[in-house]
Amino acid sequence: MKGKRNKGLAVLIVAALFCGSLLMVPAAGFGAAKPIVIGGSLPLTGEFAETGQWIERGMRFWAEGINARGGLLGRPVQFKIYDDQSNVGKAVTFAEKAISVDKVDLLFGGYPGTAARAVMPVAEKHKMVYVSMGGHMKSFQQGYTYSFGAPPLMGEWWYEGFFQWLATLPANQRPHRAAVYTINNPVGLSLQDSINRWTKKLNIRVVINEKYNSPLADATSLIVKAKQMNCDILFSNGFFPDGVTTMKAAKALDYHPKAIVQGIGSVVPAWVKELGADGDYVFSGTSLYNKLNYPGNDKLNAYVKSKYKLDGYPLYFGFGYAWMQTLEQGVTGAKSLDQTKIRDWLKGHQINTIAGPMTFDKRGLPPPINFCTQIVNGKVELIWPKQIRTREPVYPKPAWKK
Amino acid sequence: MDAVLIIQSLISGIMMGMVYALLGVGFSLTWGVMKVINIAHAAFGLLGAYLAYSLLEHCGVDPVVAAAGSAPLLFIVACGVYQLLIRPISRAKDVIVASMILTFGLAIILENIMVLVWKADPRVLTPAYASGALIVGPFYFQYPHLVGFGLSILGITAIYLFLKKTYTGMAVRAAWQQPEAAQLHGVNLYRISMITFALAVSTAGAGGIGLALLYSFEPHSHNLWLIYLFLVVIVGGVGNIAGTALAGLIIGVITGLSMAFLPYQWVNLVTFGLLMVFLIFRPHGLFKQEV
Repeated sequence: MKGKRNKGLAVLIVAALFCGSLLMVPAAGFGAAKPIVIGGSLPLTGEFAETGQWIERGMRFWAEGINARGGLLGRPVQFKIYDDQSNVGKAVTFAEKAISVDKVDLLFGGYPGTAARAVMPVAEKHKMVYVSMGGHMKSFQQGYTYSFGAPPLMGEWWYEGFFQWLATLPANQRPHRAAVYTINNPVGLSLQDSINRWTKKLNIRVVINEKYNSPLADATSLIVKAKQMNCDILFSNGFFPDGVTTMKAAKALDYHPKAIVQGIGSVVPAWVKELGADGDYVFSGTSLYNKLNYPGNDKLNAYVKSKYKLDGYPLYFGFGYAWMQTLEQGVTGAKSLDQTKIRDWLKGHQINTIAGPMTFDKRGLPPPINFCTQIVNGKVELIWPKQIRTREPVYPKPAWKK
Repeated sequence: MDAVLIIQSLISGIMMGMVYALLGVGFSLTWGVMKVINIAHAAFGLLGAYLAYSLLEHCGVDPVVAAAGSAPLLFIVACGVYQLLIRPISRAKDVIVASMILTFGLAIILENIMVLVWKADPRVLTPAYASGALIVGPFYFQYPHLVGFGLSILGITAIYLFLKKTYTGMAVRAAWQQPEAAQLHGVNLYRISMITFALAVSTAGAGGIGLALLYSFEPHSHNLWLIYLFLVVIVGGVGNIAGTALAGLIIGVITGLSMAFLPYQWVNLVTFGLLMVFLIFRPHGLFKQEV
């Protein structure tokens, strides 16, 4: 009798333990787990809306994928995205709100570099991991320990690949006189770093080096000056509107440098769509590219092809996705939402993203990235590094199509 | 300093300034006649630019033709907006402040409509002549700048002649100068205000198309255009059509000369410094306020 009672008790205990263990199982399989909330802001309206919306699409595509695979740490992920209206001040306010009021589990990276740079100290103050493009080199030199650029948008590296390729040309085929027009903000100024270093190295004389404040009222006089000074390479370091104004003026005034390097404005899909053949042959840099032979790129390309009818994902769609990949690996690696554990794991391990494998230094930066692109026949082609090039560069620049 | 560079900069500056003047005349008119500061004026201009963009992309219609076509359309839309929104606030204690707040909201609504219809992507108006130029000696006249300039001259002249030579135009001027006397002579102030508002919005459409020929545009571009609107209207004198046109020319000359003589980063500083000088020393602008 006593034996029977003990047996019954044992069954009850086992049943209770089983029920208890059910409560501890990661809840994805049961659909009742508390979601992991990833918060922050993006410029969904205003000046940088187009880019912000592509970042959001990239992030949401990542979220769809991870939720379909059972979530992060077995919990579904969801976003709390504020629209900062392309305003840096609002980006900071929303970052504070996401952390302090919404008490989000993770932060996502913002745009543009000025906003990311302003949010980095907020993330540091609250000890929250912040994976974004950052705000160029200076933002990573402030001693922040929770910020990562994965990949970063590093103006200082932007033309590295272009110059490395240019250095492979015989000296007599290289340009000799450069006109440099730069938008007077941290993004534009960061581009001058590689120009200054490499023009000296390649013996290219910078005969015009002018800064302008946005908006650029007119580019006619810029082009007249470059033409008069026989500049055979033009660096147009401005955003899309300035880039378009400059290209239109260059064509109208029949200005024929050997190369036009348009660093910032030419990376948005609208460049190819709106300028057509007039936007061709422009060189730029990048830290991510849709034809890279790393896992995941094919999947993203197929998705944007079916969803948006685009050949290759836009740059910022990829950025949004890659930043979330990094965060995902940090959380999975740390097996925790503890921000310091995530940070330490990221600092000590290699991660794999659509931009390639990365390790991070003390500043949260990977080793320098040196991709160079050129737009040829309406397509963004990777021309450097040579081993992953998608086509030969077109140089010198052909005459304008009339 | 190279004379070619100076003259070329002046040519480009003047053409640009006149396009802002075209966008500015309507803004000046509603401010002067109705005491309505229409913050959505540039957004209506942008709407004109988007209409021209769609007509060019889908039907191959030249932007100049689109300007002529969009004017009556915007006129009708503006009549509706007047009846629905502007007229009710005309009895407000402070029409200027009420109109600013109201039309600020209208601008946001228009911006969001443009985002919905045309998306947030930047656009470029590229008719066949988009990157061509008329070459006269060493000088280049970019065709889009020439077309924008021509559109401005036509638009401003048309408004000027309408106000000076037509009965309705004279009624608008009377309503501005002596509203009570005008009413005693049978002028219907509401009708005149509606016509003034609709006319202003129509010219905004043409001005927006002129600017779209010069620059790329996005749904938020009207915010930047609005700054230039205040510049031309304050310099030219509120409600003064000739003054607005002259202000456009002057701003163009200053911008052009600044680009030729000064480092480019000073251009906006000089241009908007001018606005501050005018506000301090000639708050009524170059000319006395007169329609």
